[in-house]
Amino acid sequence: MIRVVTLDPFDDKELAKFNRTLYTAFGVGSEHAGSVELPPGMSEPLDAEKLLDEVKGIRSYKDDKVLLLTSRKLKDRELPSGVAPTTGFARQGKDRAVLSIAPHKDLESAFKAISRHALHQLGHLWELHHCLDPRCSMYPPWTPSFIQGEAIFCTFCREKSEQKIRLGKS
Amino acid sequence: MPEGSASLQLAVGDRVVYPNQGVCRVSAIEMKEVAGQKLTFVTMRREEDGAVVMVPEGKVIAIGVRKVASAEDVEAIFTFLRSDSDKADLDWKQRARTNLDRMTQGGIMGLAEVVKGLQVLSELRPLPTKERELYDNARHLLVTEVAAALGTAEVNAEDAIDIVLFPPGRERPKRTAAEFQREDSDLDLDSDLLGLDSDLDLPSDEEPAEEEPAEEGEAAEEGEATEQAAPKKRGRPPKAKAEATEGGEPPAPKKRGRPPKPKPPEAEGAPPAAPKKRGRPPKPKPPEAEGAPPAAPKKRGRPPKVKPPADES
Repeated sequence: MIRVVTLDPFDDKELAKFNRTLYTAFGVGSEHAGSVELPPGMSEPLDAEKLLDEVKGIRSYKDDKVLLLTSRKLKDRELPSGVAPTTGFARQGKDRAVLSIAPHKDLESAFKAISRHALHQLGHLWELHHCLDPRCSMYPPWTPSFIQGEAIFCTFCREKSEQKIRLGKS
Repeated sequence: MPEGSASLQLAVGDRVVYPNQGVCRVSAIEMKEVAGQKLTFVTMRREEDGAVVMVPEGKVIAIGVRKVASAEDVEAIFTFLRSDSDKADLDWKQRARTNLDRMTQGGIMGLAEVVKGLQVLSELRPLPTKERELYDNARHLLVTEVAAALGTAEVNAEDAIDIVLFPPGRERPKRTAAEFQREDSDLDLDSDLLGLDSDLDLPSDEEPAEEEPAEEGEAAEEGEATEQAAPKKRGRPPKAKAEATEGGEPPAPKKRGRPPKPKPPEAEGAPPAAPKKRGRPPKPKPPEAEGAPPAAPKKRGRPPKVKPPADES
């Protein structure tokens, strides 16, 4: 089950449409599981890793995947090979990811791009790596063509995610 | 010999890389008796999922177990991935063999070479399923080792690799097959050995002399003139063409294959033979007695039973 938890107010209809997109992509249920407060002491741009570690009040079961949705900016990560533009963050194989819709105001204004980013972060939670296919949502998200694509997976990534979901359920 | 494993001293708690399996931690080194022999086994636990493997100490180097790469090695990996010098091998068999060797014995640089090579190849054409799986495996092993070497999360290690492979704000280039042609592909083989007809402009004294029949017709000569204008080919000279007919018509182009059988001489005034039907020839009919009634059409199915002769009594 995918649980979308909001850190900022979002329109319910847009969230319902967002959940339908996630359900279509992964074939598992997706729902809006409420809102939580931002951990105290965090300011914009948010440190994604710290946010995932410190956020509290999320109720989920063992095989659930939680996607935190915020309209605030995330801080770009400094990596040994350069700076990684960060619109979302998820640890491989774990249960929590965070996604920022910034610089867009709401889900409606860039629904396709945000959905694609959401699929990407949730894909990391199901242990998918970056993909070579520019049409796939697991393509590196900082490439210019990423936001122009549909919220879909390539055959390889879809099969792999389905396999991981099956293994997680069994 | 695998890279960096010439002298491998292991202790409990060391982090090692088991080829094709990933980063493991040595959990025990203990003596066991197997089939009457006392052997020292190194027990390793894979960090990813906790799978346990036991290897005899003498086989550790032969298998290719090595220490986790250092930060300097990872920097060398980034430099290699950033370079644009790597060209993929277009021969899939050679590529598969090389990639297998790199995966098992190439160390972290071997993994990077597999990832880079397949990524470059994917810029030419989509990868087949097996190579896509190989790419995913190599990427997974590379990411876990880089994460272990840098002491960071896997997702950060993957992004660090991909920032180099897919620089932000830039699309991947489209490649053509010509870019992958190896410069050393010309092995100086004679074209005769390769069975190829080359279009070399040889000097006239090296050209094979063509046997020209003296009595060739005009049309044939014209054809020959055009042939002479064209660059001559090496190899067996063409056979002399059949003499042109007196009417001056150019001979029909010679068909390949078995020549047609000569037709038997037909009698003058005889009607033209009916076109031959294909398939099995009809069975010859038995000669019918004159005046006999025409035979009833043969019924299909099982023949009727023969009635037993009725008793005369």
